[in-house]
Amino acid sequence: MRVPMRWLAEFVDVDVPVDKLAELLDLSGTKVEAVHRPSAAIGGVVVAEVLGITQHPNADSLTLVDVRAGSGDAELVVCGARNFRVGDRVPLAQVGARLPEMEITERKIRGETSRGMLCSAAELGVSADHSGILVLPNDAAPGDDVVDLLGLDDTILELEITPNRPDCMSIVGVAREVSAILGNDLRHPLVQVETDAGVASPVRVDVQDATGCPRYLARYIEGVKVARSPAWLTTRLLSVGVRAVSNVVDVTNLVLFELGQPLHAFDAANVPDQHIIVRRARRGEGMTTLDGHERTLHPDDLLIAEKKEPLAIAGVMGGGDSEVSDETTAVILESAHFQPESISFTSRRHGLRTEASARFERGTDPDLVSVAADRAASLIADLAGGRVAPDIVDQYPSPIERASITLRPRRAEQVLGAPLGIDQQASYLRALELEVVESDGALQVQVPLFRPDLKREIDLVEEVGRLAGFDRLPNTLPPGRTGRLDREQRAERAIRVLLADLGLHEAWTSSFMAEVDLSRLGVGRGDPAAGVVRLANPMSEEERCLRTTLLPGLLRSVALNERQRAPGVALFEMARVYEPSGERLPREAVVLAGVLSGSRRVASWDSPEEPWDLFDAKGIVEALFASLGLPAPGFSQAQGLPFHPTRAAAISIEGRSAGAVGELHPQTLVAWEIERPVIAFELALAPLLATLGGKPKVQELWRFPSNLFDIAIVVDAVMASSEPSRIIREVGAPEVVDVRLFDVYEGDQIPAGKKSLAYALELRAQEGTVTDAMAAEVRDRIVGALAARLGAELRG
Amino acid sequence: MSELQALLEQARAEGLARIAEAEDLVSLNEARVRTLGRKAPLSQARSGLGKVDENERKVMGRLANEVQKELEAALQAKQEVFQAAELEQRWERERIDVTLPGAVPPLGALHPLTKTIWEIVDIFIGLGYSVAEGPEVELSLYNFDALNTPPAHPARSAQDTFYVDGAGEEVCLRTQTSPMQMRIMETEAPPIYVVVPGRVYRREAEDATHTSQFAQIEGLAVDEGITMGDLKGSLSAFARAIFGGDLDVRLRPHYFPFTEPSAELDVQCFVCRGSGSGCRMCKGEGWIEVLGCGMVDPALFEWAGHDPERYSGFAFGMGVERIAALAHGVSDIRYFYDNDLRFLSQFRGIA
Ligand SMILES: [Zn+2]
Repeated sequence: MRVPMRWLAEFVDVDVPVDKLAELLDLSGTKVEAVHRPSAAIGGVVVAEVLGITQHPNADSLTLVDVRAGSGDAELVVCGARNFRVGDRVPLAQVGARLPEMEITERKIRGETSRGMLCSAAELGVSADHSGILVLPNDAAPGDDVVDLLGLDDTILELEITPNRPDCMSIVGVAREVSAILGNDLRHPLVQVETDAGVASPVRVDVQDATGCPRYLARYIEGVKVARSPAWLTTRLLSVGVRAVSNVVDVTNLVLFELGQPLHAFDAANVPDQHIIVRRARRGEGMTTLDGHERTLHPDDLLIAEKKEPLAIAGVMGGGDSEVSDETTAVILESAHFQPESISFTSRRHGLRTEASARFERGTDPDLVSVAADRAASLIADLAGGRVAPDIVDQYPSPIERASITLRPRRAEQVLGAPLGIDQQASYLRALELEVVESDGALQVQVPLFRPDLKREIDLVEEVGRLAGFDRLPNTLPPGRTGRLDREQRAERAIRVLLADLGLHEAWTSSFMAEVDLSRLGVGRGDPAAGVVRLANPMSEEERCLRTTLLPGLLRSVALNERQRAPGVALFEMARVYEPSGERLPREAVVLAGVLSGSRRVASWDSPEEPWDLFDAKGIVEALFASLGLPAPGFSQAQGLPFHPTRAAAISIEGRSAGAVGELHPQTLVAWEIERPVIAFELALAPLLATLGGKPKVQELWRFPSNLFDIAIVVDAVMASSEPSRIIREVGAPEVVDVRLFDVYEGDQIPAGKKSLAYALELRAQEGTVTDAMAAEVRDRIVGALAARLGAELRG
Repeated sequence: MSELQALLEQARAEGLARIAEAEDLVSLNEARVRTLGRKAPLSQARSGLGKVDENERKVMGRLANEVQKELEAALQAKQEVFQAAELEQRWERERIDVTLPGAVPPLGALHPLTKTIWEIVDIFIGLGYSVAEGPEVELSLYNFDALNTPPAHPARSAQDTFYVDGAGEEVCLRTQTSPMQMRIMETEAPPIYVVVPGRVYRREAEDATHTSQFAQIEGLAVDEGITMGDLKGSLSAFARAIFGGDLDVRLRPHYFPFTEPSAELDVQCFVCRGSGSGCRMCKGEGWIEVLGCGMVDPALFEWAGHDPERYSGFAFGMGVERIAALAHGVSDIRYFYDNDLRFLSQFRGIA
């Protein structure tokens, strides 16, 4: 919302510097996003008369324009726009002039010398309108400074108006805030319309949907001469970023910005029988709006229609046919109140947001409907010579009532935490033009309809608080409780720290994945539709599904780093995955995943390059379990995408499935455009956290030395080495307390199809030292079991 | 001089000469044998002691001992010289260029967003808050309706909010961590002091300051007698802890559907220290917006079944990327999700 200081000053005295006013607005809830001083960047731009327009000899899109600024010689400028005619007044940036984005010099453009530039509104920094040269009023004198003419030496506040404050969508509304902040009186605009008893309004209005349109008022004005607006009106509109169109339309826009009530002017001649119907759209109905778009209407769209055809989408945009044009002589002026939700839905449905819809969807003031109509009618009479009919159509069957609220001053003090007496609170509210009566130590407050946001006591507390100023509140601390992370939260932190310490960088990747990622990763094998939550409105097909695995994001990051020529990539992420639960909300589970690729350590002066391999990944998983005090994970050969068919393991904890680790399938790497092998692991966190023990209890230290011995066996080459380990542990208990595989050998020394496994065992006695006899007995027990159950032979 | 004395003196002279001649430990050992060994002149001279009278034996015995001590001392001294030299050689043999690079184990790092969340959360833990998390796929009921955001609100449009396929607009990806306010108040009785970190989702075109997924931290304090002064004190303490203890903090009235009064918290710009002029960090304002906050709207208490006349509270929410970007000078928040190691490896160190 742009608020020009000169316009504001018509309604309230501003007796502080602009920067101070901006700060006071900030601190009372109307954020000042910027303070513009357009003239600061503009110099040497003058009014010029267009003397002639000819085609540029070397460029179809350009013209050569003869212009004269004042008494000087005519100048020739090259111009790209064609929205003006000979005789028009236009802004000429002369050679040496300054504009917000450029400085003007004499230039050759496609072979023709241009002595200056004609300016659009955007080039002058007054609006975003790039669509053509800003045509100035005809009464502008050539040679005059455009800065003075357009009032560009004004200061303009750019305000952020929060959605609860429709009243601040107007200059008068902002003036009311300023008056409350500064303690200066608000001057309401003087509205007096002179009607002509000789004119009878032929207008009839049927409001068929009083819910969507609680109030509809129409005034009739005839004898109108549509022409360009005078300079003051053009300037005023320009100062809020709107380009002048014609006197009648400009007046409706002026009132919209001044009072916040959108108006619409129909050409009475194009409304058959001057009969207006307010109704919802019919199924299949359509119309062409002013912006030239053909629109299919929705049965919930509220329309302003004549007997057959729609005239306008109510509160949003008019249609081309009934618009005021140069030929218009009689005008039907609409001033109405529409239900905010209805306008909001329609505006969103058609992707059409206008100055009018922006105000209606926040909620306009129903009491302003007649004031605004009168203000506009009197201006049209003044500027376009219209005669205003005395009779008004005003359909307002159920007048909207003002809210009446009780404010307990003590309650305001309790919420705000500061002592603010009842008188002080009453005066803040009165400054906002609320009616306040004190009774029984409470304030009875009547809320005018321009503040639909004030409905409850707490709403008034907020008004008191923001006008008192939050800087007046004390800085206190509530008692709080015992704050700490719970055990699972501490475990999650410990896991992240451990993985970072083990050499992995933590990643944050997208929660989304593509449909095609599902098959690439083997998700929902067999039934690809199962097991995935999809979005109804993803930003792109790449982000259609909620991820069921963290791998897609991590692999994208591996590819990115590989392209950046990182010698090694080791990443982990701990985040959620999602899957349908059968309930309304999907199941969300925290998952830990890691990817390792390239060098673990680059070649150095003392050692060759060392790549990340599967056993690094397994080791990381094992270290993770150990550091959390969990039982060692189980690993078993596993198969299926995204992993290499023979280089992947399923991970389990106490027999429950917990995840997988392995080298990724070459075709997975191709899909993500990764060249080097990638080792990945993924673990569900829930089974780990469910297995967390309590605080560790210390065992007495062994007083006697343990006994170490080795066993080497020969087994089938395909046998999992974990099998003998498991049997040794099982059969060796309780004496065997540790089993470590220290050698795997296949080759000349043993038969083909076999391999040798060598284990180091640690033995302890319950009491005392391990005797030779005891060790021999344990050894025989183990060797016997290995032979019987695995067909293992003792080696050497 | 007796013959015996002459022999002893000769053994001394010869012995000292031999020791002096030794060039290394090997020849010194040889010298030891030849001066103190059984066949050495000294031993042979000693064997003559039994053949002289008692008086001379006493005198000569003393002399023999004296010679022996002198020779031993000479051997010892010479040996120490050789040992020192040998050690010296060993040290040279074993010399290592300690300026060669060390074998650095692979070094990872926590993600800056994780570190930022931990830093923020830890400050609130210090103020007596606990930590909770909530569902990212959320019922519109909690994400919107319970938070005073009716169906007509533009934020609920499919233009701005992600909806789950097949559930109409009933199930969305949460657009804020605020629905956890309702979930917590619904299940817990005050006093409640909790912060809720987590991912949220909005259908935003991505640019340097917007991503369609980002992290927020929500906070909620509900107790008897909580005032807006408590909000101000708590959040000022937080802002100073994060950005610097000597910076000014201010509360600026604002609007949120589910707090009233509502405010935004600004901290004095830590680059220009509030002067504003020409500052790119704060765009000349002198203040940096840190978070949104406000007193819990009584309607929320009613919705959750708590008496708004008895309980009051405050809530706040902040964007983690924005705070991390401010704190680390990150120009484009999309970097946080690229996971480029050149970026991630810059976040080591103690925050
Ligand atoms: Zn600054």
